[in-house]
Amino acid sequence: MPGGTTPPTPPIVLEAIGKRYETTSGAVQAVDSVSLTVRAEEFVTLLGPSGCGKSTVLGMIAGLVRPDAGRVLVDGTPCDGPNPDKVALVFQDGGLFPWRTALDNVTFGLELRGVPAAKRREIARGLLEPMGLRGFEKKYPRELSGGMRQRVAIARALALDTPILLMDEPFGALDEQTRLLMGEWLVGIRRRARKAVVFVTHSLHEAIALSDRIVVMTARPGRIKDVIDVTLPFPRDLNAPEVTDLRAKLWEQVREESLKAMGNPP
Amino acid sequence: MTVLAWRLGILVAILAVWEVAVRPLNPIFYVPPSALPGALVRMWRVPELPALGEHVWLTFTEIAGAYALAVAAGLWLGFLLGLRRTVGRIYEPLLAALYAVPSVIWYPSLMLFFGLGPASKIAFGVLLGFFPIVLSVLAGIRQVPATLVTVARSMGARPWTVFRKVMLPAMASTMVGGLRAGLALSVVGVLVGEILGSRAGVGYVINYAYGLMMTREYAVLALIAAAAILAVDTVGALVEARVKRWAG
Repeated sequence: MPGGTTPPTPPIVLEAIGKRYETTSGAVQAVDSVSLTVRAEEFVTLLGPSGCGKSTVLGMIAGLVRPDAGRVLVDGTPCDGPNPDKVALVFQDGGLFPWRTALDNVTFGLELRGVPAAKRREIARGLLEPMGLRGFEKKYPRELSGGMRQRVAIARALALDTPILLMDEPFGALDEQTRLLMGEWLVGIRRRARKAVVFVTHSLHEAIALSDRIVVMTARPGRIKDVIDVTLPFPRDLNAPEVTDLRAKLWEQVREESLKAMGNPP
Repeated sequence: MTVLAWRLGILVAILAVWEVAVRPLNPIFYVPPSALPGALVRMWRVPELPALGEHVWLTFTEIAGAYALAVAAGLWLGFLLGLRRTVGRIYEPLLAALYAVPSVIWYPSLMLFFGLGPASKIAFGVLLGFFPIVLSVLAGIRQVPATLVTVARSMGARPWTVFRKVMLPAMASTMVGGLRAGLALSVVGVLVGEILGSRAGVGYVINYAYGLMMTREYAVLALIAAAAILAVDTVGALVEARVKRWAG
C-alpha cells in the first residue's frame, strides 16, 4: 500500500460462512453465506427472529460450531476450536455452575489457565465489586437474583480479559425492568472494557440502546438482511425522535422476518 | 433435645405395650422384649458354632467386598455405556431388562458357581448393589446440562477437565443416590445369600435360630441386624444430603 500504514487486523472476519444441520426431518440450512467484519472495540448486534441462526453464528465465532462453508478469522487467524485467549462467551441462561460460589464461577476460566489461586480470587473480586456484587462472593447461584446471576456470568467472561466478547441473549431470561437496567449497566461498562462485542438479541430496545452497528438477519436460512450504523451518542435517550424513527425502521424489517419465521399467518 | 426425649419416650411406650400385649400369648410365636437380652447372651456363644462376633465380622467383610466390587463395576460400566453412545444404545435396554428380573432367581446359579462359602454371598451382594449404581451413573450423565459443558469448552477445557470439573459435580446428587441404594441392596444381597444357604455369617445364625424354633434368639438377631442396617443407611442419608446441598 503506497504511502499508507497497514490497517489493523480486525478482531472478527466472517467470510461467507454457512451451516447446515441434519435433523430427523431433513437438513436445515441454519446460516447461509454470512459475511461480516467486526472492528476493534465495536459493538455489533445480531438482531432477528427466533431460530434465525444468530446463536449459530456466535457459536462459529467462538469455535464451538464448525462452519461447513466459508471461514471465520479471529484476529486474522482461521478459527478451529475454542480460543479462550481471544474470545469469551456469555450465555442466555448464564450457565453458572450451581456447585460453585459466585466467586468460584468467576475464577473458573482463570483456573483452567493455571492462574494461581490467590491471584484469580483477586481478579474475580475486582470484577464483582463494581458490579454491585460485593458481599455476594460466597453465595451460590441459586441464592442470587436473575440479574445478579447474569452479572456473575458476565464477570466470568470478563475475567478472561479477551479482546472479543460474545453475548448470546444475555438478558433474555430476565424480566423487562431488570433487562432495561442491565442494558444501561452494560452501556456503562462497555466503554471501559474496550472490547469488540457481538451481541445476540431479538429485542429492538437492547439493539438500539447498545449497538454501534445492528445486523438484521432473515428468518431461516439466516442471512444478513441489512446492516445499520447507529451513531447516536451514549447513553441513548430511547425516546429521542431519531431513536423512534430507527425503531420503526428496524421493526418493519424484523416484523417481516418474524412473520416468515411464523410461516406467514394471515 | 425435646425431640430426642420424645423419641425415647415413644420407644419405651412401644416396648411396654409390646411386653404387656404378648404376656398371655404363646411365647414361641410372641416374644416379649424382656426376653431379648437373655436370648442375645445365649446366642453370643452357641457351643456348636463359632462366636457371634466372628459371624458379624464375616458378614461385614462380605458386605464390604460386595459393595466395593458393585461400586467399581457399576461406575465402570455406567461411564462406559453413558459416555460411548453406540455401546450405550446397544447395551442399555439389556441392562434395564435384567434389572426388571427379580435377582433372587439367579442365586441358585451363583451358589453352583461360587459354592456355599463367602464368594457366593459377595457375588449376590454385587449383583444386587450393582444395578442402582449403573443406572444412576447413566441417569446422571444424561442430566448434565449441555450449556455447562459448552461453557467449559468455550473456556478451553479439554475432555478430561470437562469430565472432572463439570460432569462429575453435575452428576453428584444423582450418583450419590444410586450409591446409597446400592449399599442398601448389597447388604440385602449378602444377608439373603447367607439365609438361603451358607455355613457362617449373621444370616446363617438367623436361619439357624429360626430353624430350631429359637424364636427369641431369632428375634433379637433380626432386630440387631435391622438396627445396624438402619445406622448405615442413616450415615448414607447424611452424606447424600450433604452432597446434594453442595451440588445444588
